[in-house]
Amino acid sequence: MFFRKSEEIKSDDVLNALRHVIDPDLNRDIVSLGFVKKLETLDGEVKVTIELTTPACPVKEQLKEQAEQLIAKVAGVKKVEVTMTAQVRHNSPQSPQGNRIQLPNVKNLIAVASGKGGVGKSTVTVNLAVALAETGARVGLLDADIYGPSIPLMMGTRKERVFQDGEKLIPIEKYGIKMMSMGYAVEEGKPVIWRGPMVHGALTQFLSQTQWGELDYLLVDMPPGTGDAQLTMSQTAPVSGAVIVTTPQEVSLIDARKGLAMFQSVKIPILGIVENMSGFICGHCEEVTQIFSQGGGQKLADEANVDFLGALPLDPRVAVAGDEGMPVVLKNPDCEVAKRYKTMAGKLASLISVQAHGPVKNFQPLEMSWQS
Amino acid sequence: MAELNASVHPVGFRQVGKKNLGIVWSDGHNAFYGVRKLRLACRCAGCVEEWTNRPILDEKTVPEEVHPKRMETVGRYAIRFDWSDGHTTGIYTFDNLRKLCECPQCRTASA
Repeated sequence: MFFRKSEEIKSDDVLNALRHVIDPDLNRDIVSLGFVKKLETLDGEVKVTIELTTPACPVKEQLKEQAEQLIAKVAGVKKVEVTMTAQVRHNSPQSPQGNRIQLPNVKNLIAVASGKGGVGKSTVTVNLAVALAETGARVGLLDADIYGPSIPLMMGTRKERVFQDGEKLIPIEKYGIKMMSMGYAVEEGKPVIWRGPMVHGALTQFLSQTQWGELDYLLVDMPPGTGDAQLTMSQTAPVSGAVIVTTPQEVSLIDARKGLAMFQSVKIPILGIVENMSGFICGHCEEVTQIFSQGGGQKLADEANVDFLGALPLDPRVAVAGDEGMPVVLKNPDCEVAKRYKTMAGKLASLISVQAHGPVKNFQPLEMSWQS
Repeated sequence: MAELNASVHPVGFRQVGKKNLGIVWSDGHNAFYGVRKLRLACRCAGCVEEWTNRPILDEKTVPEEVHPKRMETVGRYAIRFDWSDGHTTGIYTFDNLRKLCECPQCRTASA
């Protein structure tokens, strides 16, 4: 029988302690999920690196604290250092070839859609994008609204023009986000008068020829409705999931239901519902007044058995920020709406991670040639 | 028949002789199809009138030995066939393909 020196720490003891740290979204412990990436023990000191599935994880700090407390109780431990990192999982089905768009460097392609126009879809998309990017994620933004692009205005890039390098399109970059929009390709104020097949062509080109580089999340601001752009996305692009934006009123919910049904019929997972313009928030006292009915988004989520991502009240600062080309999450980061956006981005990132561990992740495109 | 669970999708295609096709699904189901019958079941706007659902395709114009030249999944929800008679516009949804299955189990269930 040997006696261990009191300061000697067993790695297994540390791992066993970490088995009590449960990821609340995936409902499993961080050890069996393979999140513990590095474990060093030396002279009473333990250094652990925990890799989460998204830098936007809303419970990152709680998990870190839990891990620190549990390791501290392990025999021989005098000092604990826990480092949190993140590696976003690949969750967009890639295909061998064919008519499909391949985005091997984009881990998650997310369509932000609504049935009805004017519900603030672009505002929601840009703010979610910057909120995700603030957590350290690599984010891209594609404006799929070919006829009415609004991303250039909202991201303060109206004067930018797309630069072509051979086959490749160089994205516009601002606030750490890579962007592509029809607004960068045509003269401002000039209408785009195109038939459906050209919309398909432009969208396909933007998706596949833009030099996106490595992205954790590529958010696509869809045009309203269930038309050409939606078909192109669902038939040719490796979409991971869709977010549906609605306002609380029934007139918007009717169309949101159609948008939702469309994505469901083409088997694109619905990541969640966002209720925008949910009451009015006073710029002075931050009190929310319900000027329309409320709870429509939650109702829609319940009906369709999907997640409700949250409600965003109207705040005049949101529109001002958009018009000035700086999303409210960056311009007024401490206001209530900005806070809600950040919470929502965290929730969305969690849902995407959960989905990447779920049954849908196994979907792989197939093809076969007949032998005659 | 209830809508197919959103996550059920094909995991394998298998040619069975010259006239039949097998599709293995993620829920373990081994589906079986006669390829000519599959060609005749095309729901595209060229084969079925969009507004009235009236059949447009004349069976007699489809060769007995018709077969897919190539097939591939479309998005997460359907399969597109490139047929030997030159027809390429049909998109068969997963839901519809499960209904068209001719395996003994499905035939008994629908009888």
